[in-house]
Amino acid sequence: MSAFGSWSPPTTQAALLRSDWLVFFWTGLAVAALVYGLIFFAMIRWRKRDDALPRQFRRNNRLEIFYTVVPLVMVAVLFGVTYAVERPVESVSAHPDLVVRVIAYRWGWQFTYPVQGITLDSKDPTDGPQMVLPVDRTTRIEITSVDVTHGFWIPAFLFKRDAIPGLLNRFDLRPDRIGTFAGTCSQFCGLGHALMHFSVRVVPDAAFVRWSRSAANAS
Amino acid sequence: MSALAAETGSAEPRERFDALSWLTTTDHKRIGILYVCTSLFYLCVAGGIAIVIRTQLSRPENTLVSAPVYNQLFTLHGTAMIFLMVTPFAFGLANFVLPLQIGAPDMAFPRLNALSFWVFLCGGLVVFSGVLTSGGAAATGWTAYAPLSVLRIAGGSGQDLWIVGVLMVSIATILTSINFITTVFIYRAPGMTMWRIPIFTWEMVATSLLVLMAFPTLTADLAMLLIDRHLGGHFFDPAGGGNPILYQHLFWFFGHPEVYVMILPYFGVVSEIIPVFSRKPIFGYTGLVLAAFAIAGLSMGVWAHHMFTTGAVDDPFFSFMSFLIAVPTGVKFFNWIGTLWRGSITFATPMLFSMGFLMNFLLGGITGVMIASPPIDFQAHASYFIVAHMHYVLGGGSLFAIFAALFFWWPKMFGRKLREDLGKWTFWLLFIGFNVTFLPMHFMGLAGMPRRVYTYDASGPLPLLNFIATCGAYLMAVGVVLFAYNIVVSARDRTPVGPDPWGANSLEWATSSPPPETNFDTLPPIRSERPVFDARHPELDPGLAR
Repeated sequence: MSAFGSWSPPTTQAALLRSDWLVFFWTGLAVAALVYGLIFFAMIRWRKRDDALPRQFRRNNRLEIFYTVVPLVMVAVLFGVTYAVERPVESVSAHPDLVVRVIAYRWGWQFTYPVQGITLDSKDPTDGPQMVLPVDRTTRIEITSVDVTHGFWIPAFLFKRDAIPGLLNRFDLRPDRIGTFAGTCSQFCGLGHALMHFSVRVVPDAAFVRWSRSAANAS
Repeated sequence: MSALAAETGSAEPRERFDALSWLTTTDHKRIGILYVCTSLFYLCVAGGIAIVIRTQLSRPENTLVSAPVYNQLFTLHGTAMIFLMVTPFAFGLANFVLPLQIGAPDMAFPRLNALSFWVFLCGGLVVFSGVLTSGGAAATGWTAYAPLSVLRIAGGSGQDLWIVGVLMVSIATILTSINFITTVFIYRAPGMTMWRIPIFTWEMVATSLLVLMAFPTLTADLAMLLIDRHLGGHFFDPAGGGNPILYQHLFWFFGHPEVYVMILPYFGVVSEIIPVFSRKPIFGYTGLVLAAFAIAGLSMGVWAHHMFTTGAVDDPFFSFMSFLIAVPTGVKFFNWIGTLWRGSITFATPMLFSMGFLMNFLLGGITGVMIASPPIDFQAHASYFIVAHMHYVLGGGSLFAIFAALFFWWPKMFGRKLREDLGKWTFWLLFIGFNVTFLPMHFMGLAGMPRRVYTYDASGPLPLLNFIATCGAYLMAVGVVLFAYNIVVSARDRTPVGPDPWGANSLEWATSSPPPETNFDTLPPIRSERPVFDARHPELDPGLAR
């Protein structure tokens, strides 16, 4: 199951997202086992043995109602799980500890820290800028694009959000683990799409303060 | 196409192949064969492109093709497979089979039918003519998202040719749908009541209704795109008061029903084949028909699940509607299992491909429910997980049903069977090849590989997974070549097949193979949805246990 992110997801949001993955994965596996099992059983058990015509039955109303209602209940429960997970992931804090503005363009990223007065940009298109975030703090990302639609995706965070011209998207990230995480553009945007990378480095508070001072001086 | 058409001509020893008669035909059977041959031609083109794509991705940082060429390749692959292969194959098959199944002499509007085919054929050629322009073909994916598709690049008339070509195909599809609906409602033989219509024909009615609701939105969307590109429009330009999200809404209002346009006919195909090779009536006929219409209806209300990551749609509503589609789809699965249950099952090639359809489509359906949950979609969207999901539905699903249909109805179309031994080899090559290609793509997506990239990082699990996928693609290519070889060797076999080589159920098997120009000399009495079975078993009451 490590395919759905690491055992200790690096953000509060990713832990929630991962719980949704696991519910759907195990439910899907159970449904697959049942239905594949029924198909294989029927194919083997009732392969042709003689020329006798099998009984020509056409329906079973109670069974048909049963296999309509049970999936209906299942998807209702799955929807409940989805809703319970999505609400906190989508909720945006009124008082974030940090705000980072992301502007996507063909083919690079610009990260701005308005309070700290920092601007980072893609200088080398194959590597991209590195966003630095303090651990255990809520960072609000405000994202838009200046040309076509792009996608801001950090696979380890199990999350992406599109950067769309004329629209400002907001979401919160609360990293709870120190580390460096790769990011890339997920929405096809033309020739440089495959190389439109960036990264996110999560550091302790003190390191963030040191970094933001030197970065503010640099920009 | 011409080679295949030539085969057809020689299938009827009475008459010589006459090209002019094929160019001017209004016979639904000939138009159906023209559609099928054209879509198989595009299968070879789009499949060949897929092999180039997989070869490029077989190792990281490969330089077989450049980024601009790669972007054209995946655009043409998607466009051809969706608009020129999976959709028109169903329409070609229905052109041939549907009037026969309801005991009609032809389609309701034969000339309109011919017009649809030629407009479709020309539309496909217009899309591909982009490769002859200096800027190359369209390179914005089969979705052609604005504002990317609005950008005018020097020499970039490929995008315009794409828009005009897809518009033509769209209009042809709408016209044929009108034709199908009219034919089914007006031209049924005496005794063919609505509740005796074979499942394939029912699925085509649901499909045609979906086309009439969805495709006009596509034509509008593409027309708006042309206006933005050339007439100074700002529909999708935020600087002029437009909205890029509007393009996505209109596109997916067409695009999601289109997914069902590409799968409902193939639900119909396997619903015809499984009863024949289980020697039992379809289980839960009424439920199966109602499920088709439930899917069609629900599919009109789920489009924005393609847009969860835009942050601009009401996620819970679209998520719940998408989950609901799993219910009627599940009903169909249980109908098919119920048909197998206590049957007398044989595994001729059409049945093998139908079972392959069930296996592959089930996985595609389960991942479909997963990505209908926005928290999962936030990771899976626009990644190789989606590529895997969508190919399990349309490749492992529709394409396997296409091969099932080819093997099943080939004797009816051309008067001789395809070879069974080669057919079984084709099945196993395609089935193993398909799963080796697309199963790893789920893990590529979760590992962070976005779709539509011509290169990827050499570190991590991606190089190995991509290499495995490429090997599977080559296996599939061998399977398709073997199928082409099967067509050639089977054409040399002059043994005629009778009207009903499979012991089948519906009316097309009551007439000669291939059928005469007016389809039927006599019709058997129609007292259930399988009149040919009833005629074979006069000792059984057709209304038994209904």
